[in-house]
Amino acid sequence: MTGAASALRYWELRQEVTANNLANASTDGFKAERVFARLLNGAPVIGTHTDRREGAVHQTGQPLDIALGGDGFLVVNTPAGERYTRGGALQVDTEGFLADRDGNRVLGAKGAIQVGAGTLVVDRTGNAAVDGKTVDRLRIESTAGGATLDHAGATAFVPGATRTLVADDKRDVQQGHLEDSNADSLGGLVDMISIQRAYAAVEKTISVLDHVREVATSQLGKGAS
Amino acid sequence: MNAALRTAASGMMAQQTRTEVIANNLANVNTTGFKRSRAQFQDLLYQTVQSTGVIGSPDANTTAAIQVGRGTRLSGILRMSAQGSLEQTGRPLDVAIEGEGYFQVQLPNGTTAYTRDGGFQISDQGTLTTNGGDPVVPGIHVPPEAVNVSISRTGVVSYVRKEADTVELGRIEIARFANPTGLFSQGGNLFTETAASGQAITGFPTDDGMGQLVQGSLEGSNVEVVQEMVDMITAQRAYELNSKTLKATDEMSQVANEIVR
Repeated sequence: MTGAASALRYWELRQEVTANNLANASTDGFKAERVFARLLNGAPVIGTHTDRREGAVHQTGQPLDIALGGDGFLVVNTPAGERYTRGGALQVDTEGFLADRDGNRVLGAKGAIQVGAGTLVVDRTGNAAVDGKTVDRLRIESTAGGATLDHAGATAFVPGATRTLVADDKRDVQQGHLEDSNADSLGGLVDMISIQRAYAAVEKTISVLDHVREVATSQLGKGAS
Repeated sequence: MNAALRTAASGMMAQQTRTEVIANNLANVNTTGFKRSRAQFQDLLYQTVQSTGVIGSPDANTTAAIQVGRGTRLSGILRMSAQGSLEQTGRPLDVAIEGEGYFQVQLPNGTTAYTRDGGFQISDQGTLTTNGGDPVVPGIHVPPEAVNVSISRTGVVSYVRKEADTVELGRIEIARFANPTGLFSQGGNLFTETAASGQAITGFPTDDGMGQLVQGSLEGSNVEVVQEMVDMITAQRAYELNSKTLKATDEMSQVANEIVR
């Protein structure tokens, strides 16, 4: 009975995660969340991890739209500390610094990047030039071995314990582009159907167990008298 | 389970807003100097059901965190400042800006607004105004005897009095912004500056970073109908998808209710 109840909880969690993935099908730079379950010392352990696969990249022509090809994240400075983001529609804040949609400044090797009223050009390896003059180099980092990253909301992630700078030949900064959400709508829909069926199956199991107990308590009692 | 319902609802609301933005873009496909907008979304905060930790002995496997997202939200509606195509009208007072910059306009309340719509008029007092009747800044007076007014690419407004006698009436100044997407759109093709856009940087056309003027042309809207149609289909499908989530979650709740009879 307890096992069946925790199975119900598991399928509910999967439904919630799938709902979130589907709701973010149009969120640029979104990374889907996956649920997994495995047996550890005979007990089931449930966990989630972030699917770090790349989303499709589409052209926008806006100079402040930045997409990253391959693995890697831009580093932004938020009130809660440094966070990773896959880029997106950046802006220039009131003091002329490059920032994300929430006003968190994007960090380069020398700190925040001053753009002012100039024209920003970012090359493939992340060198940022304003009006033709190189000012800084974008910090593009990743976590070792594709370790999972915690979502921080607002399409940002909490950097892992092992932070490494992405090498030049692995960098692919695409200015004037945005990365689509990597949530797979069709896959999510199929998942949802199987979740629903599995949930109903667990409910059946509980009903059957309940019925068995009913027999045990009422029928066996009758036999004894 | 209620969480999944709310998550799906947030997805539906997001797609609805996106459709509203697309509808406005399409409605303005023939509006002079109109810039298309795009809705931008973010994921909401995540609930950490269980954080990364270690079970049992120190050498045991670490457990992964369980993070459940709570949906999506609108993070902004961005105006795409891309150049619209120039449409030749042949009317001497139609002026388009090719490149960066906005015409400056004085509003009745004395503040300055900015526009890309250069379909100018001359008021009954001889002042150069916009279509809406607001005077252009700095003020340019066109006397009644001025015919064949010419506006150069650098903004000089002049007319030829008689042969080889050109009278300069003034010079149009344009303004640009550090972050034009941050401008506040107040309708009537007018924008006003905000903290996000930064202060206006004024100068003459063709100056450093400024565009040039093209007389006898108007800047068309930068809306691409095909692009908007594709976006509309995507938005509609995504809306349906979220409604499916809503339905599936509801059916699961129904199943759960059947456990106790």
